[in-house]
Amino acid sequence: MINIRGLHKYFGENHILKGIDLDIAEREVVVIIGPSGSGKSTLLRCMNYLEEPSEGAISVDGIVLDGEANVNKVRENVGMVFQRFNLFPHMTVLANIMLAPMKVKHIAASDAKQTAIDLLTRVGLADKADAYPDQLSGGQQQRVAIARALAMHPKVMLFDEPTSALDPEMVGEVLDVMRKLAKSGMTMAIVTHEMGFAREVGDRLLFVDDGRIIEQGPPKEIFENPKEERTKLFLSKVL
Amino acid sequence: MEFNTGLVIDSFPLLLIGAGLTIEITAMSVGLGLIIGLFVGIARIGGNKILRLLANVYVDFFRGTPLLVQIFIVYFAVPVITGQRMDPFVAAVSACGINSGAYIAEIFRAGIESIEKGQMEAGRSLGLTWVQTMRYIIIPQAFKRVIPPLGNEFIALLKDSSLVSVIGFEELTRRGQLIIARTYGSLEIWLSVAVIYLAMTITISRFVAYLEKRYKIKEN
Ligand SMILES: Nc1ncnc2c1ncn2[C@@H]1O[C@H](COP(=O)(O)OP(=O)(O)OP(=O)(O)O)[C@@H](O)[C@H]1O
Ligand SMILES: [Mg+2]
Repeated sequence: MINIRGLHKYFGENHILKGIDLDIAEREVVVIIGPSGSGKSTLLRCMNYLEEPSEGAISVDGIVLDGEANVNKVRENVGMVFQRFNLFPHMTVLANIMLAPMKVKHIAASDAKQTAIDLLTRVGLADKADAYPDQLSGGQQQRVAIARALAMHPKVMLFDEPTSALDPEMVGEVLDVMRKLAKSGMTMAIVTHEMGFAREVGDRLLFVDDGRIIEQGPPKEIFENPKEERTKLFLSKVL
Repeated sequence: MEFNTGLVIDSFPLLLIGAGLTIEITAMSVGLGLIIGLFVGIARIGGNKILRLLANVYVDFFRGTPLLVQIFIVYFAVPVITGQRMDPFVAAVSACGINSGAYIAEIFRAGIESIEKGQMEAGRSLGLTWVQTMRYIIIPQAFKRVIPPLGNEFIALLKDSSLVSVIGFEELTRRGQLIIARTYGSLEIWLSVAVIYLAMTITISRFVAYLEKRYKIKEN
């Protein structure tokens, strides 16, 4: 579904991603962990071209990301959920979800609304359709953000620390939604510090440090039996 | 010293006609300035390097030179090139509009840049184009934030429009001068003129305060 070859990213002089090769299969859930500043977000953001790779090739569902034209095409197929939700504060929950399907895919308002209501029901927020984002708790906002991304019927969902900005008591409700999504067969790439969740939901775990994938494999194996020194050191701090 | 109340009363209708023209040029100039400012402001943050350069030159030039000189250029210098006399009203609105466009561009730019970066990213990640994201997400939010500085710009321009009296356009200040030339009532007329300007600027700032309250931003 996603194929990355020889990906490098520089911010000015800073070499942030130092040669990433990664293939994510359809229906696979890949969890990315690693220390702060290691390039996890940058890697994820390259997958939908929010960051332009300095070197290397990325394709999503067979379409190579190279110019503006392709990028918009690919983004329709790639949903992204941000740490800080990034809901549109001047629109109701419903309008947040309906905007992109109507403007990008030219779906009729009535159909977009039906989809939005179905998705809100799925994330347990059908009663919040007419609320504004600032009337919702963090956990609720993040569930709306997930529904908003799903409204484009993406083939892949990217999550960048979706629970890091939440109060602890709200983490569970967001992880529940993500768990269900994974079970439904969605292809997902998730950057997270929730190690329990990574272990439970991930098909594959990537440990990223200093712009490189240091180690990867089934989460259980890596948690129980890390091979690389750096992985051991990192896990000893977070587990 | 004697204060001639009768002169004030007699002159008031004429001054009010002038005030009407002051409002007219100010409103039209701000209208022109808003259109120019929106495009120039966006050009200053957009990706196109040539447009950005042009926009920067425009803003620097019109903010960096006196409005009075700009009025002279439009009214006296441009006709030298075109060979056509310029109507004072057209000259006044052009000069003031182009001038305020530069300030309004800066207001829009700052307003747009004050919107959190995540909003553009969220829009783009959903497949919206840059223009669509600007139109549906960024500008509607920025609009609420630029109401107060736009109000200030409106007030500043209303006052600065007195400068077009130099090209003989008979707005409020010019009317005052003409009446004084006839009646020698400097004290009465200049005070009246000042009071009328004050009434207009206070009305605008009240209106802006009302708009600000009405569109009070919902922020998280
Ligand atoms: N737009 C940018 N301009 C310059 N430097 C950047 C930019 N974005 C990220 N960086 C730098 O790139 C490095 C990697 O950032 P990135 O956000 O990918 O790390 P991360 O692994 O997601 O960290 P965290 O766990 O803190 O989110 C950091 O040193 C950061 O300062
Ligand atoms: Mg990050």
